[in-house]
Amino acid sequence: MIAPGWFREDRLPHIYCTGCGNGTVINCTLGAVEEMGWKRNETIFVSGIGCSSRAPGYILTDSLHTTHGRALAFATGVKMAQPDLNVVVFTGDGDLAAIGGNHFIHACRRNVDMTVICMNNHIYGMTGGQGSPTTPPGAISTTTPYGASEPAFDLAELAVAAGANYVARWTSYHVKELTKAVAAGMQTPGLAFIEVRTQCPTNYGRHNKLRRVSDMIEHLRSHAMLVDKYNRLTAEGKPVPDGTFTVGELVRRNRPAMGVKR
Amino acid sequence: MKLVIDESRCKGCNLCVLVCPYGIFGEGTELNSRGIVSPVLDRPERCTNCRLQALYGRMLCGVCHMICPDQAIAWVEEKPFEPHRVEVEF
Ligand SMILES: Cc1ncc(C[n+]2csc(CCOP(=O)(O)OP(=O)(O)O)c2C)c(N)n1
Ligand code: SF4
Ligand code: SF4
Ligand code: SF4
Ligand SMILES: [Mg+2]
Repeated sequence: MIAPGWFREDRLPHIYCTGCGNGTVINCTLGAVEEMGWKRNETIFVSGIGCSSRAPGYILTDSLHTTHGRALAFATGVKMAQPDLNVVVFTGDGDLAAIGGNHFIHACRRNVDMTVICMNNHIYGMTGGQGSPTTPPGAISTTTPYGASEPAFDLAELAVAAGANYVARWTSYHVKELTKAVAAGMQTPGLAFIEVRTQCPTNYGRHNKLRRVSDMIEHLRSHAMLVDKYNRLTAEGKPVPDGTFTVGELVRRNRPAMGVKR
Repeated sequence: MKLVIDESRCKGCNLCVLVCPYGIFGEGTELNSRGIVSPVLDRPERCTNCRLQALYGRMLCGVCHMICPDQAIAWVEEKPFEPHRVEVEF
């Protein structure tokens, strides 16, 4: 196991379903934490509510498991009171972009110095598979039985527009790239946002002809396109296949940030 | 080093089967005592990390153990050291 000193081994195996991508994202995050050489008593994990938000419960540091959608508000409080702490937020697409959407844009605008990792599984996993703001058009969920008819949020682009200093997107298949991106985000002062497209075989895959974990992973892998390639294709006016999303580093910049270590 | 699957954690998702470039993991067929079909290992001594971790002093490849959502894959020291004749096919 990765970063053995950071897991609450007494709590394992965790509650996630077979093949749920959230466990992989925890691995990659803790791999990045080890790379950073952070100490356990100087690091805090904050989350809201959802399957993704249960992640801090498996990590051996102080953590805050807060109310639905409010992880970033609590994390901002932690960072303003104790700027010397390393703050990492685990959140889900519903937690971050639906009920917590306003906290998301304002945390990016304020550029609070923390690392926000969103496990975007395109669904409300914990409550049984209702559609979320990132459910792709046409996808079946319990609240979109005939296929989602609304456009979906692009969380990473949203964070870029709102002002975060570091923004990247990967999937739970790209474990090495994801670990590097999380570490790069942790090194960047200001808000680092890493969107991870993950598989929820139970509540997303089952309704969308992706019942097997390997089908979900293959779907993520084959629809991911490096952002440079995407920009090149669109600049040349060439077509991009339907359902493609960009992966890679979307922005790294130096806007004024809040709560940076003294 | 020896590759092991911790059957008290593995949930049988077969993601390791999907990612290993050497095809060391294969889909299992038998239920274990927890009612889970864990993957079976085919000549794990071919794994890059089994062979070279001690020499390089760091993790090599390790993709299976990063993607394993259940933290079930690990390498243990072999005691006493068992030399293997390894043929790596490319
Ligand atoms: C104030 C409030 N409203 C609604 C809920 C019910 N609820 C729990 S988890 C959840 C959605 C979680 O979705 P997401 O953040 O995507 O997490 P996932 O389970 O998919 O990882 C909802 C609506 C709640 N706990 N609190
Ligand atoms: S419901 Fe989905 S997100 Fe929640 S643990 Fe199961 S697979 Fe993971
Ligand atoms: S470390 Fe790499 S080569 Fe070794 S078993 Fe895992 S995936 Fe295969
Ligand atoms: S990836 Fe981990 S949990 Fe999944 S089958 Fe392999 S060892 Fe088991
Ligand atoms: Mg979700």
